[in-house]
Amino acid sequence: MPEKVQDKSVYSLLEVMESIRRTLGERYTSAFWVKAEMNKLNHYVHSGHCYPDLLEKREGKIVAQIKANLWKEDYLRINENFLRVLKEPLKNGINILFSARITFDPVHGLSLRILDIDPSYSLGELEREKQETIDRLRKEGIFDANKQVKLALVPQRVAIISVETSKGFADFRKMIDANSWGYCFFYMLFPSLLQGEKVAESIGRQLERIRLVQRHFDAVAIIRGGGGDIGLAGYNQYELARQVALFPLPVITGIGHATNETVTEMVAFRNCITPTDLAGFLIQQFHNFSVPVKEAQRVVADAGRQILSDERRNLIESAVNFRNRTRHFLASSARMLIHQATGIRGFTGFFIRNNRDILAQSSHLLLIGTARLITDRSTAVETLTRQMELLDPKRVLSRGYSITMVNEKPVRSSSQVIPGDSLKTITFDGSIISTATEIQPEPKP
Amino acid sequence: MSEKITYTEAYEELQALVDEIETGEISVDQLSEKVKRAAFLIKTCKQKLTSTEEDVNKILKELEGEGE
Repeated sequence: MPEKVQDKSVYSLLEVMESIRRTLGERYTSAFWVKAEMNKLNHYVHSGHCYPDLLEKREGKIVAQIKANLWKEDYLRINENFLRVLKEPLKNGINILFSARITFDPVHGLSLRILDIDPSYSLGELEREKQETIDRLRKEGIFDANKQVKLALVPQRVAIISVETSKGFADFRKMIDANSWGYCFFYMLFPSLLQGEKVAESIGRQLERIRLVQRHFDAVAIIRGGGGDIGLAGYNQYELARQVALFPLPVITGIGHATNETVTEMVAFRNCITPTDLAGFLIQQFHNFSVPVKEAQRVVADAGRQILSDERRNLIESAVNFRNRTRHFLASSARMLIHQATGIRGFTGFFIRNNRDILAQSSHLLLIGTARLITDRSTAVETLTRQMELLDPKRVLSRGYSITMVNEKPVRSSSQVIPGDSLKTITFDGSIISTATEIQPEPKP
Repeated sequence: MSEKITYTEAYEELQALVDEIETGEISVDQLSEKVKRAAFLIKTCKQKLTSTEEDVNKILKELEGEGE
């Protein structure tokens, strides 16, 4: 009740506050839904309560602001919902749709007591922000920029953005260090937060460091693992995604989560999803280089062998050919020689035989001839003897013939004699001397 | 190895050489020389796979230098 002081009704502060509380209580009887940006969550770990700063901005200016209360039980329940639906905890800087009551406390004043927060609204907001990042990068024409950076044939030197104790980094190292092909990698850790609100800023800082020594590296690998799917919204932030897209080296991601590719992963040179796959991807690049080299080695060796073996075969063929021809020539020469020898022997034999035969025949003929000749001659001698005997003048003379001689010459013609010549007529048993008285030549017929 | 050649160049030259061999454009007379060259290129490439000259300390030093 107000006191009366010098005609004035004076209320105590508590009375005023109580009055306001009552009035508000009468006016705002039930809870209502409000949308606002939760600038700060202000979670007190010790008590478990939160005192979020809520505000509304228009064109970048704060046009409304109020403190809120989120009691421990409500916070735990809501946070669980968020983790389930958004894969993000309740955190600073998100837009929320919440159910609240107006409360007024005489000591703490006016505030909104948050009873519930709709996670799907925040999810939509996050998705919208993600889409905005994508749209903006596309509009600026840099969305695919990192994909067009040329990856070294052998991406051997890798700048790792991770945490020393990360399970993902351990998985990566295990696979790279123990590769059974003896591939040599060089990697260097650039430590950074990998999830939560500060991830974009932290990774961004390491990317800047790497840029300074980029000539020592072939690629950047962002490696995270074992952290589940929570707290990756930072990878959708425009600044980080842009930095990755425009990075001069290929950026490969292996941040190990199952749902909703983040924008940073989308714009990366390659998103391998898990650290193990990332290591596998790098090793595969080595294979892609190594296999053709081995193949080249085989082809060159084969070609060398082939050409040499062709040459050897040609040589052998020539040798065989040469031997065959020589042999053939020798054989045919030998055959010809034998043939000629046989010919000569045959001919000689024949010749000898022939001559021997001729000789034999000749001697035979000679014998026969001689004998016959002798016989013939004997016969001839006999005939001649007989003829001689027949021709003996005495025998003729005895048959009555005579020979007339004139001047000691036998008279064969009457012309040899003239009358008066002394003639001598020889007979078988003597001669008659006479004188020619008349010559009577025989008239010609 | 006196010749300076990057492994990328070596790799490309090797591929060209293999093409040449596979299309049968190399005579026996050239072969010895080409095989020798291929062996050098293969060695260069293989060396790349199994060694590196980078050094973390050098890079750190460079980073500190840049930071100043």
